[in-house]
Amino acid sequence: MIRAIIPARTTTRGEAVMVEKRFTREVGRRDFLRYAGYAGMSVSMAGVLAACRDADTPSGGSSGSVKASIPPIEQEPGGLQVFDWSGYGNGDYYPKEEKKFLWGQYAKATGDTPEFALFENDDSAYTKVVAGARYDVAHPCGYRYGDWVDLGVMQPWDTSLISNFSSLNPKLMAAGQFDGQQYFVPMDWGFIAPLVNLDHVDGSDETFGVLFDERYKGKIAWIDTLNMMVVAGYTLGIENPWDMSDEELAEVRDFLVSKKGLVRFYWNQSYDFWLAFKKGEVWAGYSWPDTVGYADAAGMNYLYMQPKEGRISWVCGLGLFADTENYRHAHEYANSWASKEAAEFLLAYYYYGHTNTEADPSVVPDGVRTALGLDDPTVLDEPKAHPETHIPRRSIYQQYWSEVQAA
Amino acid sequence: MAVTQQEASARRGWRRRDRRGTAGLLAGPLIWLLLFFVIPVAFVAAYSVGAVDLFPTDPGVVSLASWQRLLTGGSVYMGLFWKSIRMSLTVSAIVVLLAYPTGYFLALCVGRRKYVLLLLIIAPFLTSYLLRVLAWKVILGDAGVINSFLSWTGMQSPDDPITWFLYSRFTVMLVLAYIWVPFVALPVFVSLDKLDKSLLEAASDLGASRWRTFVRVTLPLSLSGVFAAFLFVFIPTIGEFVTPLLVGGTSGYMYGNSIQDLFTKGLDWQTGSTLALFLLGVVAVLMAAFGRFLRVRAVVA
Repeated sequence: MIRAIIPARTTTRGEAVMVEKRFTREVGRRDFLRYAGYAGMSVSMAGVLAACRDADTPSGGSSGSVKASIPPIEQEPGGLQVFDWSGYGNGDYYPKEEKKFLWGQYAKATGDTPEFALFENDDSAYTKVVAGARYDVAHPCGYRYGDWVDLGVMQPWDTSLISNFSSLNPKLMAAGQFDGQQYFVPMDWGFIAPLVNLDHVDGSDETFGVLFDERYKGKIAWIDTLNMMVVAGYTLGIENPWDMSDEELAEVRDFLVSKKGLVRFYWNQSYDFWLAFKKGEVWAGYSWPDTVGYADAAGMNYLYMQPKEGRISWVCGLGLFADTENYRHAHEYANSWASKEAAEFLLAYYYYGHTNTEADPSVVPDGVRTALGLDDPTVLDEPKAHPETHIPRRSIYQQYWSEVQAA
Repeated sequence: MAVTQQEASARRGWRRRDRRGTAGLLAGPLIWLLLFFVIPVAFVAAYSVGAVDLFPTDPGVVSLASWQRLLTGGSVYMGLFWKSIRMSLTVSAIVVLLAYPTGYFLALCVGRRKYVLLLLIIAPFLTSYLLRVLAWKVILGDAGVINSFLSWTGMQSPDDPITWFLYSRFTVMLVLAYIWVPFVALPVFVSLDKLDKSLLEAASDLGASRWRTFVRVTLPLSLSGVFAAFLFVFIPTIGEFVTPLLVGGTSGYMYGNSIQDLFTKGLDWQTGSTLALFLLGVVAVLMAAFGRFLRVRAVVA
């Protein structure tokens, strides 16, 4: 970026001379605009050209940290920068508990208070980092790990510095490994599945098809992302809904367009979905586990389906930025997150799973535990659940999804 | 030609200083425009033709493909654009129709207390935009104020609330109209307030009825305010995305939403930039065509 500015600055000086010369004539409003245009065009073109040059050289940054050169924790600046979802420590949902359970250990060990930058979904988080934003630690979800690593902005964790690492489920750690190194430490996990209100919806046939069922016209909620394309793909029996061909995408689009009239709204925040579900504005919806927990606590007659197409599972975890100056702080933070206390907090408050095998699932009410299958060690395996996967043709998916929304 | 050389040179010197002063005064806004408008727009333009890419893995080929897709053939985004234009036109027309009587009443009927009342009308502006949109969810929901009232009076069964109140194109237009009415009442009020009242007296002296006075005198003289008001609503609402996101449901989706989705969810910045620039271009053309009605100095008090 710095390189982009230098030529632009040079040109500004050149232009300034020219502009001053031109001002020896009478300057009217029209002229002013014209000159502003000239100056702007040339300066900005210089900027753009420089930026193109920047884009050609891939942003460097490598992993391969040398442990010996890492200074002791006292020499690190602290003020750990955490790039995370809202509610995962910044205090948006449970001001006291998030701090106490997710990073209380960290605060005790380091005396530091982390600073949070928030993202609203995986894609915007990734985009922001692509655009140049840097932090110490980030908390994206599994299907994008590979992209983050490919960007060259992350470095592997030194798992020997994370004492709780040995308590984490080794089977689930594989998702965060690249080239044999642990770039991400998977922690919280959950599902995507239909949640229905059994007072109004027939729960005998468990399928994603309930989100496209004519019987529940006007009582269905979809999520406001192109994940609906994937869900529709599973419902239609398409072999790999994460990488569909143009014909398959067209089939899915036509299917969604034909079913769109049944939908009350697309939800952006799971809490919005929950409010509508509670009030009876919708009876069936694309749902995360948190809504299941709320419905259980409210005593609703609900069913979190185990659809015959399989649930979709997601797992999120912490990654370490390559240029962090808080290397040891970051490891303390990951250690805090990997602890039994953090795991039980996520279970009890968000109804999410955690990869820590020592966490006690009985902190979750029985109903929710059964609904989510927290006691079932195979609940995350195929064919019960399909892991959320990277969509290579994302922009094409978005085009088809836009056509659904615009229809 | 009785100008002495001394006088001429003095005048030249004065002129030179004046010119330098003008350039100096213009430099600030000029640089501001450059840094915060022209350069960012140029970047967006570069994204739209693929000269700059979001991902290092992108091919980095400069092409006009996304422009071609938008402008030729039945592009889904073009269809959305016309839908947004239709919605904005409807909203603007409704808002002007609602705001004109308000402005008229304030300017010509109230008298001394008009500024107090004007402040009251503008007061909702002091609360958050989001809050004002979300408040409508409480009013229009299935268990909201209106549906509860209808079921209380027995006009509607509580099991069968009116669902099109919320999450529909109607809701988007209703909420947009609500948000913009006070903003639009202001230019109408100003253009009526500075109306020369003696013209109205003259009209009535000459035997014109009140209605005739309005049609022949008041309305024509306030038209510039009406046009300004119309554009004040129309231009920002074409690109609107927050209101449809919150209350639009499946049918309220607008052009601005697709731009936002392309940038934040689809990660197709090339198409997103193309759509954004196209919108900017249309607004610029509208401004150029109707700019003379937007006599800002005459309208903003």
